[in-house]
Amino acid sequence: MFASVFAFELRYQARNPVFWVVFTLFFLLTFGAVSSPNIQIGDGGNVNANSPAAIAEMMIILTIFFMFVTTAFVANVIVRDDESGFGPMVRSTRVSKFDYLIGRFAGAFAISAVAFLAVPLAIWIGSLMPWVDPETLGPNRLVYYANAYFLLALPGIFLTSSLFFAVATITRTMMGSYIGVVIFLVLYLIFGALTEFDPNLMTFSAYAEPFGGAAYELLTRYWTASESNTQMAPFDGILLVNRLIWLGVSLLALAFAYSRYQFAEKGLSARQVKKQERAAEKLARQVPLLTDTLPAATPDKAAWVRLVARCKFEMTQVFRSPAFFILVLIGLFNSVAALFFVSELYGTPAYPMTFYVISILQGSFTIFPVIIAIFYGGELVWRDRERKMHELIDSTSIPNWAFMVPKALAVVGVLLATLLISVVAAMLVQTLRGYTDFELDKFLTWYVLPLTVEFASLGILSVFVQALSPNKYVGWALMMLYLVATITFSIIDWNHPLYLFGQGINVPLSDLNGTAVSGAGAWWVRLYWGIFSIMLAIGAHWLWRRGTGVTIRSSLGLLPSRLRSASGGLMLACLAAFVATGVYIYRNTNVLNEYVTGDSREQQLADYEKQYLQYENIKQPSMTAITLKLDVYPELRRFEASGEIEMVNDTGAPVEELHVRFEDEVVQVKSVELPGATLERNDEAFKYRIYRFETPLQPNERRTLTFETVREQVGFRARGNDTRLVHNGTFLNNIEYAPQFGMSRNGLLQDRAPRRKYDLPAELRMAKLEDESARQQKYVGDAAWVMSDITVSTSADQEPLAPGSRVSDETVGDRRVTRFVSESPILAFFSVQSADYAVEAREKDGVDFEVYYYDKHNFNVDVMLDAAIASLDYFKANFGPYQFDYARILEFPGYARFAQAFAGTVPYSERLGFIADLTDLVVIDYVTYVTAHEFGHQYWAHQLISSNQQGGTLLVETMAQYSALMVMQSIYGEDKIRRFLKYELDRYLNARGSEAIEELPLNRVENQGYIHYRKGAVVMYLLQDRLGEDRVNAMLADLLDRYRFKSQPYASSIDLVDGFKSLARDDSERELVTDLLEKITVYDLKVTDAAVRKTDDGQWETTITIAAEKFYADGEGRETTAPLADDIDIGLFSARPGLSRFGTDDVIEMRRRPITSGEQEIVVLTAEPPTYAGIDPYNKYVDRNSDDNIKTVDF
Amino acid sequence: MLQLTGVTHVYPNGTQALTDVTLTIPKGMFGLLGPNGAGKSTLMRTIATLQTPTQGQITFGDIDVLKQPELLRERLGYLPQDFGVYPRVNAYDMLDHMAVLKGIASKVDRKATVETLLNQVNLWDVRKKAIAGFSGGMRQRFGVAQALIGNPELIIVDEPTAGLDPEERNRFLNLLAEIGENVVIILSTHIVDDVADLCPRMAVLAQGRLQLEGAPHELIDQTRGRIWSKTISREALADHRERFDVISTRLIAGSTIINVLSDNDPGDGFAAASGGLEDVYFSTLANLRRDIDQTAA
Repeated sequence: MFASVFAFELRYQARNPVFWVVFTLFFLLTFGAVSSPNIQIGDGGNVNANSPAAIAEMMIILTIFFMFVTTAFVANVIVRDDESGFGPMVRSTRVSKFDYLIGRFAGAFAISAVAFLAVPLAIWIGSLMPWVDPETLGPNRLVYYANAYFLLALPGIFLTSSLFFAVATITRTMMGSYIGVVIFLVLYLIFGALTEFDPNLMTFSAYAEPFGGAAYELLTRYWTASESNTQMAPFDGILLVNRLIWLGVSLLALAFAYSRYQFAEKGLSARQVKKQERAAEKLARQVPLLTDTLPAATPDKAAWVRLVARCKFEMTQVFRSPAFFILVLIGLFNSVAALFFVSELYGTPAYPMTFYVISILQGSFTIFPVIIAIFYGGELVWRDRERKMHELIDSTSIPNWAFMVPKALAVVGVLLATLLISVVAAMLVQTLRGYTDFELDKFLTWYVLPLTVEFASLGILSVFVQALSPNKYVGWALMMLYLVATITFSIIDWNHPLYLFGQGINVPLSDLNGTAVSGAGAWWVRLYWGIFSIMLAIGAHWLWRRGTGVTIRSSLGLLPSRLRSASGGLMLACLAAFVATGVYIYRNTNVLNEYVTGDSREQQLADYEKQYLQYENIKQPSMTAITLKLDVYPELRRFEASGEIEMVNDTGAPVEELHVRFEDEVVQVKSVELPGATLERNDEAFKYRIYRFETPLQPNERRTLTFETVREQVGFRARGNDTRLVHNGTFLNNIEYAPQFGMSRNGLLQDRAPRRKYDLPAELRMAKLEDESARQQKYVGDAAWVMSDITVSTSADQEPLAPGSRVSDETVGDRRVTRFVSESPILAFFSVQSADYAVEAREKDGVDFEVYYYDKHNFNVDVMLDAAIASLDYFKANFGPYQFDYARILEFPGYARFAQAFAGTVPYSERLGFIADLTDLVVIDYVTYVTAHEFGHQYWAHQLISSNQQGGTLLVETMAQYSALMVMQSIYGEDKIRRFLKYELDRYLNARGSEAIEELPLNRVENQGYIHYRKGAVVMYLLQDRLGEDRVNAMLADLLDRYRFKSQPYASSIDLVDGFKSLARDDSERELVTDLLEKITVYDLKVTDAAVRKTDDGQWETTITIAAEKFYADGEGRETTAPLADDIDIGLFSARPGLSRFGTDDVIEMRRRPITSGEQEIVVLTAEPPTYAGIDPYNKYVDRNSDDNIKTVDF
Repeated sequence: MLQLTGVTHVYPNGTQALTDVTLTIPKGMFGLLGPNGAGKSTLMRTIATLQTPTQGQITFGDIDVLKQPELLRERLGYLPQDFGVYPRVNAYDMLDHMAVLKGIASKVDRKATVETLLNQVNLWDVRKKAIAGFSGGMRQRFGVAQALIGNPELIIVDEPTAGLDPEERNRFLNLLAEIGENVVIILSTHIVDDVADLCPRMAVLAQGRLQLEGAPHELIDQTRGRIWSKTISREALADHRERFDVISTRLIAGSTIINVLSDNDPGDGFAAASGGLEDVYFSTLANLRRDIDQTAA
């Protein structure tokens, strides 16, 4: 009996359209993720798309999404008997409860498991596709798929099946089951958010997270690429225990369902009966309004009433449907979770300002209105027919237009309501986070209105497609096809807004600049597709099936008469408007501006490299002085630049050619004059000019080049609207308008896949450390040390800023003109800015500290000033003189998120630092850190610049990290540094797995951020800790002295490594310097046991058992053991280091002791009993596992 | 007055549902009798402007129904054979919504309409209950109520008493009779008693064609003296079928009574029976069946 019930259920569910829809959906999702060259799953980099790690991650994530599907199947088992009315018949047969219930459950679970096979199938098939880069694939081994499916996916599917099966037996309705799903999802998200950032909860969540994701993450988080590509999730340890725990929970749920389920139906309880009687009584007491003759109908006067009533009715039906409730709920929880738990940097959140919140909503909520538009398009169109109300409705005197119009309006109304709900939720979160500046106008004009128009177009398309389709499911399938097609076309860059329905122009948001970058253009495109939607709506109206037995053909037959009616006139008017709008848009996007697809841009860069990279080693004269006249016209988005560049031949040999190029393709070159030279080659397309000196430029000979350029945004572009030259918050650096000398690698194609595609060598590697000739070139673009004299003009209501001391500042008419002259050499790589700023200023020791910001972003201005002052205090005392009399921090629009250091000037994105929420003292104050880092660059980059070869960034970025760390330590103290260092260590270890080419030691780093920033911070801290802060600073000050403002030969990492080696006092220190700077060294230090006893004389003797290892790693992450012999901190504490309240008082003893490889015991005598013991408790070493350094002490 | 001329309908899959139906239906109750599958519902839907026939003309007064269906809809009340319900809507709101759809613009008018009708069909007490939970009879009553909104001049009710218990059926028929005088009401059914009780005129539709038309009492007269009835045992039925023109068999308290059509007294225990509409109906169907058998043979 069981077998036949099971088999029947299996066959029944397999014929359920849900099964096929789900199978297709998950197949397509996975297939797209695997085979699309632009979408990356997992960490990317060197991890193969079909590696066991990638397969495992994909399966885990999709199992979570799959819970909606499993619920559909298992809840159907319980619910369908009652809903179809077949229940009493089945239940009065001889079938036993076990066979019936568990047999059906087994069938439904089996079907879910089969449906999920779409995922591994899609991964496998995706990997076979010819267009996938073979470098990103490994061997397809069945065991990888099987391991992930059976160990990771199937238990999760079993869990959700049995859990929601139990829920369905309680609620007995589909709606109730899905509410259960939503609640589960909410709890799961909250659990995830609470445990995500706390490393102490990692083990707990590995057991508690039901899908095995946390356990898998815990086991593999530090895996390098080679491990990810070859190792499967181990079937033991935490992962196995997790699976067993949740298997047990699943069986418990199943048992619960079994015991709860009853064959007989329950009647109403006595109390419910009484309640019903009372309600009926109350109702009966009301007296009806009776007339003898019924009022007549007045159809002519009823048009408006009908429209309103139909609209309201359709909308109410949607609002009351359980599916809508659930969709909105999920959308809300997804976005509320994102809003609440978003963190900017180092776990520190940002203030939930409106522009910021809106971009989060756009990412996390907007998929749901899309689903609603498609789903309810179908529901609304087919409801009358499905409910068999269509005969009643179609035979009333309701006019034809009143079928389509209310449904279309209802879709719009529902979408509008959904978006408004998300706004309310967002404002709720803002309130809960303590931010009450509600900018309703921004919510409305930046989010609700534009999205309503866009989603409404989609909704009307959905209605149109449904009006054409023979049934609802075909209509949905067509809409899904449309969605997939849109995504695919976007990926392959066929997404010009004029031919891809629903495509728009991206509008980046900013408080400084509003929507001004592309807002107008975006609205034109919305108008364009909006008109088209109206045409679609009219089409839907014409094709509408009223009555029974109507076919598309008969509707088409009526078209000629329709064209002559009022709707025909409207259609023609719309067509005219559509074409007119299209022409206007085309003029902007393709005539006034150039429309370049991503592929053709890549082609351009490849050609550029093929033609000009050969010149990169030609020695060019250096710039010595720049005089510029820059005119900013913010309202017109026009920028005029003219200037003189003085150069000197410092190459030691005659120079025959000067290569002059303009790097930014939007720049218009008006003129370039170089006396005594002829223009031999002028490539206007690439803006590359080669001048030949009539007589070669002799060594030490000088020449002056003059130029004029214009940069302007005319009309709007389909994409690539200028975010640098804007109405408020212009931020241009000289590369974007001034000429550069000589060829550079800046901006060329980096990724291997496109490089191979265009027949370029796979990689452009930096010059090796040993390459002496490379020391003649600097690494920051082609920038030399110059003296600058810059005059900037802008409109009178803005303030212009450029490097240099402010020499004059006057407002003449509606223009404001300011002149800046540098008093010491600056790197010829600087920025000019113009905006309507608020300013906060302080003066100290002859330096003017100023912060220029958008007046509402005043939260951290004082923190920034404090940080700048503290930084310069430290640097002046320890590194040497600060070369400027000003220190400026400038806010720029949040179109990019970074901070940068120019000469005495630190531009800071509005999305960084300015809106950081530091009110919770527990969070890491990254504002101070980043400010200190950027001011560190005033020394490390703007006084000393390194050569363009391996290890160059060690001297610039790593030293800036070091500078920032020292500033933080001087403010917060050594004991608090641990939390910060742990972040940096974690991020370094995590990022190693995504390395695409090869990892390198610090002295050979090739601009790899995770090495020179993250590892650099940890390494530098350890070095100064071992060798002494003052001694290190003295060595660095000396280095700065030698290279300050010097041109070739430039400093290289060899200088720094030699400097540290000179500070080493014994063998272990020398070995440490080599290990940290010249090798990739990873340690594994842990306390295996710690016990304390009281000695006879009242002291406390602690015995700590330690296991220590040291490994050297190669570029791909393969490790070999190495002997360890070093002096490492051993500490005893009364509180756990790393927690926010840990302070100096909690340190009982901390001392370095000699440690060797393997196990060893250390005995420490102290006056107080310790609670914690640790080796390298502050995580100064690069430790594979930084959580096992500390242990509680046993008595 | 409703006039059908040569109405023919062939479905896209080839089924010939109606062939050359020509009818004149004056004011008052008109009964359309026919077995299941006769084409009654197709005809009803065609008149109710839900379908256009492949051939033929339909006029209602001055209105050419096929060319200007919207004009007929303004005067139409239609109770389909099979209709469903919207979920989560109560009877009051749904009837109010139907009133809006039928063009009753003023809120006061609608209130009067809805409340009067709900009271008339005895749904006043359950007006706030969801229609989805109504029993079959209650749903049917709702259907009638909505058909009566706005004083239609043409009311079409398709199989209205199917599924109603005897008391409900009586109440329903009384309701129709009340309205019956000044309005064209077409009652399409396979229950002969409904037509016999109510309709001064009727027609029989079978196999897509009009088989019979006229006033019931006239049609019954035509069969006077030709209907004979006899009580027999079940085993003798087959034998009697062969020997006589059996038009109906009935079970009463366990015995089988057969009615046969014969111009003369067939003797053999047969007694003269006073014909009823049922006999007219069954004899028409029997004749039809025999004709078909003959053409087939």
